[in-house]
Amino acid sequence: MKTTVLLSAARHPVSGREALARLEAQAIALATRLGGDIRGLHAGPESDALREALGVGLSKIDRIDAPNGSDPMEDLASHLRAAGPDLILAGRRGQGGLDSGLLPYRLAERLGLTLVADAIAIEAGSEAGTVRIDQALKKGDRRRVTVRLPVIVTVHPLAPPPAAFAYGAARRGMISTHPVNDPIRQEGQGSEWEERPYRNRPKLMRTASASSGDAAEKLFVDPDPKEAARLILDYLERNGIRQF
Amino acid sequence: MSRTRRDPRNEREAKSVASNTRRRFDLGLVASTSRRPRRDPRAEFASAEVEGRSRRRFDRTQTTAAIARPIAEAPHRRQEEVKPATRIVETPAFLVFAVLEAPKNRLSRFDRQVLGAARMLADAKDGGGAVVALAPAGLEEVGAAGADRILPFADDLALDDASRAAQLRAAMESLEPRHVLFAEDGRSADLARRLAASTGESFLADVVYLTAKQAARRKIGMTAEEFGAPPRLVSIGEDRVAAYAGAPCEARPIEDETHASPAAGSAIVSVETIPGDPASLSLSETDFVVSAGNGVSDFEAFKALAAELSGTPGASRVVCDAGLMPRGAQVGASGTVLAADCYLALGIAGAPQHLQGVAACEHVIAVNTDLHAAMVERAGLAIIQDAQRVMPALRELLEERRNAS
Ligand SMILES: Cc1cc2nc3c(=O)[nH]c(=O)nc-3n(C[C@H](O)[C@H](O)[C@H](O)COP(=O)(O)OP(=O)(O)OC[C@H]3O[C@@H](n4cnc5c(N)ncnc54)[C@H](O)[C@@H]3O)c2cc1C
Ligand SMILES: Nc1ncnc2c1ncn2[C@@H]1O[C@H](COP(=O)(O)O)[C@@H](O)[C@H]1O
Repeated sequence: MKTTVLLSAARHPVSGREALARLEAQAIALATRLGGDIRGLHAGPESDALREALGVGLSKIDRIDAPNGSDPMEDLASHLRAAGPDLILAGRRGQGGLDSGLLPYRLAERLGLTLVADAIAIEAGSEAGTVRIDQALKKGDRRRVTVRLPVIVTVHPLAPPPAAFAYGAARRGMISTHPVNDPIRQEGQGSEWEERPYRNRPKLMRTASASSGDAAEKLFVDPDPKEAARLILDYLERNGIRQF
Repeated sequence: MSRTRRDPRNEREAKSVASNTRRRFDLGLVASTSRRPRRDPRAEFASAEVEGRSRRRFDRTQTTAAIARPIAEAPHRRQEEVKPATRIVETPAFLVFAVLEAPKNRLSRFDRQVLGAARMLADAKDGGGAVVALAPAGLEEVGAAGADRILPFADDLALDDASRAAQLRAAMESLEPRHVLFAEDGRSADLARRLAASTGESFLADVVYLTAKQAARRKIGMTAEEFGAPPRLVSIGEDRVAAYAGAPCEARPIEDETHASPAAGSAIVSVETIPGDPASLSLSETDFVVSAGNGVSDFEAFKALAAELSGTPGASRVVCDAGLMPRGAQVGASGTVLAADCYLALGIAGAPQHLQGVAACEHVIAVNTDLHAAMVERAGLAIIQDAQRVMPALRELLEERRNAS
């Protein structure tokens, strides 16, 4: 099976240095478990993040020499169309870039592939040419989808942790550079949004009974234990926490 | 001398408010002569009040809140208020969609916030817009939360995501909403991106600031933000926009005649949903934590109770230090900071380090023998009783209810 892991030029959330995004390192770990021929793919200038990716399990990376700040979608799409991998892995959100998580969806749309979001485990399906993907839903629920290849999968933070960094592997790994397919294309997509420095925007305060509105009867002094138990269960049921 | 002479006594008298206790004056009621709208610090202050606390608390952190939330009337005027009539928008000038998840067929806090945001965009400037809630049919309380219309749109886990996106896209094409709002969470976030990619509409993800004029989101780590007029597709972050608090809306059911053709050539072979098991979930992922503190001595009963309530067991640091519960169960600043909806604290005093861990929990239930414990102050339901006696009573009652059904 041919797997491609999409690598972005991520930045470390604290230092701002170029670093491999954790989600992409987890994607590499998922791909390694599955086995087969695994390659990394990045569109953009050289980045330390790629070396790091070699250190956590990749041995080959293709880099499309796109200028900084251009939209990587077309370059990635034409490369992937030519390479024809069965499984394409990406992070569910970028880190230190636009961070909108839109790129895998746009790729799926352009390549006409099925996209499965928020994977935490991938294994080969019982039929040939299928994989079984566990998706993380809210509140610990999981969903297991079996899908026919090829498919694009985005990785959820609850996926298994990435492999430890190995310096030797990072030295040995190969990064091959490819020219941009269509250099005439206008580069530097102008964003439709304006930009300004970050501002701290505190979240709303969360309080009890903001939505349930039963502040009047909230304190019970020395109720009978039976009565206390009833109060607790009723509270849980009324607020939709559990039904008994 | 052409200026008329002021009579402060009469002016003050004109501002008196009927009240049966003590004479009160509403000094905010000033007939302004300038055209600039006058700030009313009292009303602003009152609108920052967090409701439902025994002691008055004010949320002064919110700049958005003052805009998003309708300025509440001062409390002493609220007393003689009659039940507000239902708001009806007969012929809306435009529509705003709010895509709701409604887990277990109830509105979550996040769903209410999405509706609040939709309400704000629908009422902006000249208003006249209607909020369409895309939610499972038969969901109550959407009207009170601010929806004028409800369009059935089930969060059916068996349905694959691409078909849901196609369904929503068909509804967008036939009803032409001005905005579609999503929660930046789980399946809604996925749906928003699918629509953005397939329609090519402008999309702002994980918005941290939203008014009718402007939406802003973070990018490049935490160093920059991008902003602009709210686009057609917006997904909002949790706890960023206040829920709607005005008069109830009608939530009239509507039908969408066009039926989406199922997504062509889907590669999905089978879908199977596996519900999460609270006992084995990590504390950071679960929605309900049953937690024991130094006031609990019977840990066998406690663990059995947690299992029967299908909650994830947690503990305070004292209990973990004593080796009575594993370290992984510790809730608090040096343990796990919870994201759960509900926290049941048995015999926990509520030290600041512990309360930090439950700051995000919407519902807190405390069982404690001490009326003045900090946990009792924090709780939505506080029971002053011996935890050792409440635990067996709870288990008994659970057993009873299970047998009855
Ligand atoms: C740096 C630092 C970090 C810390 N981090 C954490 C942390 O992450 N998490 C954490 O939990 N703590 C933490 N602590 C410890 C914290 O300060 C408190 O000591 C601890 O939370 C107290 O636990 P407790 O409420 O269970 O015990 P206690 O303070 O002993 O309170 C017991 C409560 O149970 C009640 N009670 C007694 N008997 C009964 C009964 N029969 N029925 C019902 N109620 C009864 C009492 O009235 C009392 O309110 C930290 C402390 C420090 C210094
Ligand atoms: N320039 C790029 N080259 C290759 N993959 C990318 C690039 N940018 C983003 N990706 C992938 O798309 C995911 C989501 O990125 P984003 O849409 O920027 O949030 C990332 O985790 C990467 O897997």
